[in-house]
This record gives sequence, C-alpha cells and structure tokens, in this order.
Amino acid sequence: MSNNQVSDSNVDSSETGQTSSTPNSPDSNQTHFGFKQVDKAEKASMVAGVFHSVAAKYDIMNDLMSMGVHRIWKRFTIDCSGVRAGHKVLDLAGGTGDLAAKFSKLVGENGQVVLADINNAMLQVGREKLRNKGIVGNLEYVQANAEMLPFPDNHFDVITIAFGLRNVTDKDKALASMYRVLKPGGRLLVLEFSKPQNEMLTKAYDLYSFHLLPKMGQLVANDSESYQYLAESIRMHPDQETLKGMMETAGFEQTSFHNLTGGIVALHRGFKF
Amino acid sequence: MPAAQLVSSAIERVLNHLLKLDSDSASGLKKLAGKQLSVAVHELPWPLIFNFSDRVDVLVGMPDEEVKGDCHLALSIATLQKLKDTSQITRLIQNNDLVLEGDLKVAQQFSQLISELEIDWEEQLSQYTGDLVAHKAFAFGKKLVQNTQAQANRLVATLADAAIEEKRIAAPPILVVDFCDQVNELRSATDRLEAKLNRLERQSTTKPNKQSS
Ligand SMILES: C[S@@+](CC[C@H](N)C(=O)[O-])C[C@H]1O[C@@H](n2cnc3c(N)ncnc32)[C@H](O)[C@@H]1O
Repeated sequence: MSNNQVSDSNVDSSETGQTSSTPNSPDSNQTHFGFKQVDKAEKASMVAGVFHSVAAKYDIMNDLMSMGVHRIWKRFTIDCSGVRAGHKVLDLAGGTGDLAAKFSKLVGENGQVVLADINNAMLQVGREKLRNKGIVGNLEYVQANAEMLPFPDNHFDVITIAFGLRNVTDKDKALASMYRVLKPGGRLLVLEFSKPQNEMLTKAYDLYSFHLLPKMGQLVANDSESYQYLAESIRMHPDQETLKGMMETAGFEQTSFHNLTGGIVALHRGFKF
Repeated sequence: MPAAQLVSSAIERVLNHLLKLDSDSASGLKKLAGKQLSVAVHELPWPLIFNFSDRVDVLVGMPDEEVKGDCHLALSIATLQKLKDTSQITRLIQNNDLVLEGDLKVAQQFSQLISELEIDWEEQLSQYTGDLVAHKAFAFGKKLVQNTQAQANRLVATLADAAIEEKRIAAPPILVVDFCDQVNELRSATDRLEAKLNRLERQSTTKPNKQSS
C-alpha cells in the first residue's frame, strides 16, 4: 500500500467545540479519549491524529487484529441493511470504504452511495483503494463530522456506521444528526465493539486487546499508542442496552441489536418512521 | 449466524473468480445487471440472494425480512434431486414442490450464465484453501469436492436443458445445488461412519474373546 502523504487539517475546531452535555462525563467540558479525560474540544483532533497515523496500514491491521472476522461482521451488516437497487446509502465514518464498495454494487447505477469520514487521510486511502477496484460512478466522498452531517433532511434510505461511533465526541448529537438525514422508512445500522457476554471471553479478550494488540500495532504499523487508544476506546463505548437506549432517545424505533462473536461486536438497528 | 455469511462469502468468491476467468461471461452478466434473484432451499436456515452488477454479490436473507427480488425460487433438497429428471419439472410445479415467482427470465439467464462456465470445483477451491473464510466454509474436504464436481457437472447439463425445453421454467442456481449436495454427502458419510462405529461397538461387546488380533 502506498504511503499516505496527505496533510490532515480536517478538524475544524469550530465544528467540534460543542457545548452540549455528554452522559459520559461529570464535567461537561470533558470527555474520554480512551481511558484519559480530555477537553471535548480536543478529542476530535486527537481521534484524527490516531486515524491519520494508522490510515495507510488500516486495512492490514484490520485483518490482522480481527483475524479476518471483521469481513464477516461487515457482511452481516449488509445482509441486515435491506438495501436495494436505486437506494441512497450513507456509509458514515466509512474510512477505507469496505461497506461503501459493496453498497455501490448493490444500489446499482440508479442508486447513490456517500462515503463520509471526518478524516481526510482515511478518505484518501479509501478513494485510492476503491478506484483501483474500478468502483466509480455512483460513489461520492465527503469529509464530514458525524455530529453535524452536511446533508438535507430525509435524504438516505440506509445509514451505516461501522466501528466509528465510539470515536465520536458527542454520540447523542451524532445519532440525532443521522436521524435527521434518514428518510422515513429508512434504517440506521451501527456496527461497533460491545460487551462480551461471557466472563471467560471477556478475560481472553482483555488480554488480547490490552497486551497483544498494541504490540501488533507496534510491529506492523510502528504505532502502539494508536492501538492502545483503540483498545481503550472499545472499553469506554456504551454496552448493548445503553446504545439501544441512546438510539431510542434520538428518535429511532423498532430498535434491536444482534451480538456477534459472543458480543465482542454488536450490530444495532433502528428505523425512522 | 456467521456460518451463513461464511457460506455466502465463499460462494461469492468462487463465482466471481470464475466469471472473471471466462471472458465470455461479461455479456451474460450484463443482461442481469441491476437484477436480484432470491433462492430459498427449505432445508437451509436462510435464503440466498444473488445481486447482479458487473459482478455477483451474494447476500443472506434475514428471517425478519422477506426479500423476493425480481425472481424468487423456493424448493426443497428433495426437489433439487428430482430436477435431475427434466420430465418431472412441470409436475413439481403442479404439486407445489417447486415455487417460481417473478421474472423467470432472471433465473433462466442466471442458470445459463452458470452452465456456460466450466466449473472445475476442485481446482477452484484449492486456490482458496489458504483463505480463512473459504477454508472454513469448504472444510468438507477434497474428496467430497471431487464427488460433488461430477454431480454438479451433471446437474448443470440437465438444468441447462430444462431451461430451454420448459419455456416457463427456470433452473435454480447451481451453487445452491452444489452446496446442498455437499451437505447431503456429508450427512450420509457421517451416517455410514456412525453405523460402522455401532457395528464395531457391538462386536467388541458381544464377542470379547474373538477380538484379540
Ligand atoms: C475504525 S475506523 C472504521 C472505518 C470503516 N468504517 C471500517 O469499518 O473499516 C473509524 C473511522 O471513524 C472516523 N471518525 C472518527 N470520528 C468521526 C466523526 N466525528 N465523524 C465522522 N467520522 C469519524 C475516523 O476518521 C475513522 O476513519
């Protein structure tokens, strides 16, 4: 994979310095960055730093870290999307575009897919990868913050956010923004790390993610800190029931979740009616 | 649930790989672009949905959401076996053993596309054995694949004939046939093994003295 030389000035502080309160922190100006408490205004640029740093090696690391299983999680997400020819799909925090690539084929030439990500470096890697695969035509790339989506109301039939929500500073605001741009009858799918449902699995998983994962990050991407952050951010992410509740608060109906790989990952689904 | 996605992913890979190898397949695929074919085999817990573009994407149908696409086929494994005999097809439909809904051309074009590909399953699958996904899905073993290859070839020929002879009737995708055959084969292989084990067990308990060699 070619090295990425993109200068990354994607985080506009006026976009990220919101003042709404977060359920994650007692101090409304603070939020978590992995296990650390940081200023809310800072989190987005710190997250950007992480993904800028891992962008070029992101796909390889994804396969390594999940032992290829992330492909199956993503397939399941697409199977649950109900996507059809002609649909408009938003792949939010889409990164290097695994889901967007598939959606582009499924919606066909009369459909439209938007790959949106806050991080320019990730988008660039995604764009290069999908172009090389010959995926052009119905796919657009948009640099955007999930908390304030630059799309009209009632616009998309399907929105997916895969392994993205946990990085977002104000998740409630992001969910509300997704609700706004979703068409009535449309659905949101959130694929995200969650809470393993079994104690043994939790222990093995902790061992793996706090010890092995940063080492793998060091070896392959020469960046153990970013992978330490990933492991920590996974633990700080709301569990299955909490996220379901947050989706309901944002207005989603018929919400449900499906545990995958013992709850290491969960797919949440909600509709707008 | 991931078992379903392992299977759909393996089918998709093999299918697209073959389509890429066969330069003639592009025009067949073009006719199908934008169409969707769903296939429900009663014994499989989930229907498979074939989406056509410049490639084929294979999705798994979800239980809470019925997707019929442009064309829908529903049948049992037993019916799949009977399809080998083309003369029975009309009767199968009359008996409700075979359900065909929607645009039959889609199913016919797909079966034609598949039948024109000369599928050497053994060779194809051996290329993927290093791959986690395909490896798991096809861990049925090499011997099974060889057996299935012969059966699949026979079926492809029969179904292609059927599509031509029976105007209103299209053949189901051969890949589902293939998968079901593998499952059936595996089932009878395990049955045989079980019978053998039972026999050995009986021998060792009823004739303890004669088992010394
Ligand atoms: C772990 S990657 C996931 C990429 C891809 N969806 C996948 O599953 O492979 C997380 C992505 O979320 C993006 N991201 C983080 N915060 C975001 C925000 N507030 N709005 C949009 N994207 C964001 C990052 O830039 C990164 O590309």
